[in-house]
Amino acid sequence: MSIVEVQGLSKQYDPPKGVLAVDDVSFAIEHGEIFSLLGPNGAGKSTTISMLSCLLRPSDGDALVDGHSVVGEPQAVKSVIGVVPQDIAVYPDMTARENLVFWGRMYGLGGDELKSRVDEVLELISLVDRQKDRIDKFSGGMKRRVNIGVALLHRPKVLYLDEPTVGIDPQSRRAILDGILALRDQGMTVLYTTHYMAEAQELSDRVGIIDHGRMIALGTHAELVRIVGEEARVDITVDKALEGMVERWSGLRGVTRATIEEDHAKLLVGDANEVLPRLFEEAALGGSRITSVNVSEPNLELVFLHLTGRALRE
Amino acid sequence: MSKILAIAWKDLRSTMRNVPALVMMLLAPLALAGLIGFAFGGGDSFQIAATKVVVTSADEWPPGSLPMHGPPALAGETFVAILTSEGLDDVLEVTEVAGAAAARRRVDDGDAAVAVIVPADFTAALYGTEGTTTAVELYVNPSQEFGTAITESVVTQALLDFNGARAAAAVAAAVAGDSAGHEAAVQAAAARFVQDGGVSTALALTDRAPHSPAGEQGEQGSTIGLVLAGMMIFFMFFGASNVARTILTEDHDGTLPRMLTTPTTASTILGGKFTSVFLTVTVQTIVLLVAGRLIFGIDWGGLEVVAVLTLVAAAVASGLGLLVIAVVRTPGQAGAIGAGVYLVLALLGGNFTGTATTSGTYAVVQGFTPNGPLLRAWDEAMRGGSLADVADDLLVPIAFAVVFFAVAVWRFRRRYA
Repeated sequence: MSIVEVQGLSKQYDPPKGVLAVDDVSFAIEHGEIFSLLGPNGAGKSTTISMLSCLLRPSDGDALVDGHSVVGEPQAVKSVIGVVPQDIAVYPDMTARENLVFWGRMYGLGGDELKSRVDEVLELISLVDRQKDRIDKFSGGMKRRVNIGVALLHRPKVLYLDEPTVGIDPQSRRAILDGILALRDQGMTVLYTTHYMAEAQELSDRVGIIDHGRMIALGTHAELVRIVGEEARVDITVDKALEGMVERWSGLRGVTRATIEEDHAKLLVGDANEVLPRLFEEAALGGSRITSVNVSEPNLELVFLHLTGRALRE
Repeated sequence: MSKILAIAWKDLRSTMRNVPALVMMLLAPLALAGLIGFAFGGGDSFQIAATKVVVTSADEWPPGSLPMHGPPALAGETFVAILTSEGLDDVLEVTEVAGAAAARRRVDDGDAAVAVIVPADFTAALYGTEGTTTAVELYVNPSQEFGTAITESVVTQALLDFNGARAAAAVAAAVAGDSAGHEAAVQAAAARFVQDGGVSTALALTDRAPHSPAGEQGEQGSTIGLVLAGMMIFFMFFGASNVARTILTEDHDGTLPRMLTTPTTASTILGGKFTSVFLTVTVQTIVLLVAGRLIFGIDWGGLEVVAVLTLVAAAVASGLGLLVIAVVRTPGQAGAIGAGVYLVLALLGGNFTGTATTSGTYAVVQGFTPNGPLLRAWDEAMRGGSLADVADDLLVPIAFAVVFFAVAVWRFRRRYA
């Protein structure tokens, strides 16, 4: 049985004419899995997380978290989830330790258990030495770590992370991604939202691609890139007219398709390493010289482009 | 319950670390009360400095008219004795000098605000029967209007009493029909009247100060106390609003939504917020009461009645602060609308003017504000009133507090359910 089962979840603000932010979304997350929701800003990722956190009531559909309905049993759901919001949501005028103690109490911890969990989390987020400093004295990365640490205090079964790496330096970002992978290795289930294709690709066991509130693709990385085929894309520019060259290249073994796009040729090839030398040879035979080559392996960016006609960053 | 207290403690601690908020909640009411009390001169600790006065008397018996009865007593000496009496110490610092020229020089040199110069024919004019008149000279420093006015008032009153004594003695002699010894009788009666000390008693300023019916110091309301009570309640509104506003700021900053993702109900969170507002305002009140006692020596009244008044005041301020926050959407709106509401209520309720002197429609309106009856109760408590004495005045504030809380809870539950 999946630990998270989302069934036809929808959210419309100010019905009946308001924005349909999430439209009939369904997916499941297995125990110990990192599941990413990938999509551009405004796609409906945060609204989905808000409904799964029981902050927003769905307009339609339901979701079960550890067997509890987000609609009917919100308190039970809240006790098994940890939520890391997109914006840092801790108290800047309190120290790191004071924050963790306060949030621990909100999760129902107390006494020795609270103290030991606060110590463990401070260790986990590498802030033992700075635990008595106020949050407003921290760097952005340190604040992010406290923001994540708060959600880990009660040992949640499912951790929701809503774009936790937005606006931080590469070093802190690396630390956060490594931390998430470590949590997964300890058996925690993670629901991760991002608009960074590379993060989703690196972290996730499975990815749901969401756009305009709809889940447009869902699967493992391999399953998703199969949507665009397993062919690499090669973009070439030459110093002569492209027409003759494209005709020559399209007849080569391993080249599936060759077309002209503006000032360059676009080729779909089976194995780029095998085909590239032949492309250069053929160009030389045709009296042309290749001036630039760009090879794109199939990835989630291409999948999103293929499915929506837009780049993910737009 | 532990979550409610955790939220309340967190907010209370944040408030105590917020220096601008503390200034607004604690220093501002003390400073304003001190300034207003000083300006209106009502506080026991605020006294106007005594005016420096020099007095000299050239008075002498007219030749051949020494008194026939009793020891000789020059009216000028009695007049000087009045000015230098202990009863006037608080307002006049009188020094006797020799000669009119020396007295004027002291004023010219700035050593005194006023010189009072008694003429040589002062006694002759008072005891004589030939219609002679004379005048006491006041030589004043024009830059010291206030001190001059006080001195002039005292001297004028003394002269009126002298004239009154003379007239009374003349009438008494006429009624007695002592036509042969008429002049001597007037002289003797006036001299006795003056020597009896009745004049000096009548001139004592302390005796002319208004008294409460009971006449005991402990039962008189302290002006500075009333002013501070008004300021205290006024700034309690701001204190409550400041803490209640954290509901909006936490909503904006994301900590309130985050709290709602924990297994903590919206009711518990609101309970914690309400508790923090109430606790903060109660602490604010206690600090101001203690500061008022230590700094201004205010006797707030019996412990029991002060405790009840403190709790009712905190409940009213908390309820109003929460209500304002419940009906606005942003911290900015809370600041602007809240300040307007509190100012209007303070003006209607008498926080700046007191409640004792109001009448007519204003008094009726004042009675139906949450703060007006509360101020009356504080006034009563400071005059020694018991819990029973203030009970009636507390009904309206308690009713307001209940309504404020109920509406605030209803609004917040709709917003965060």
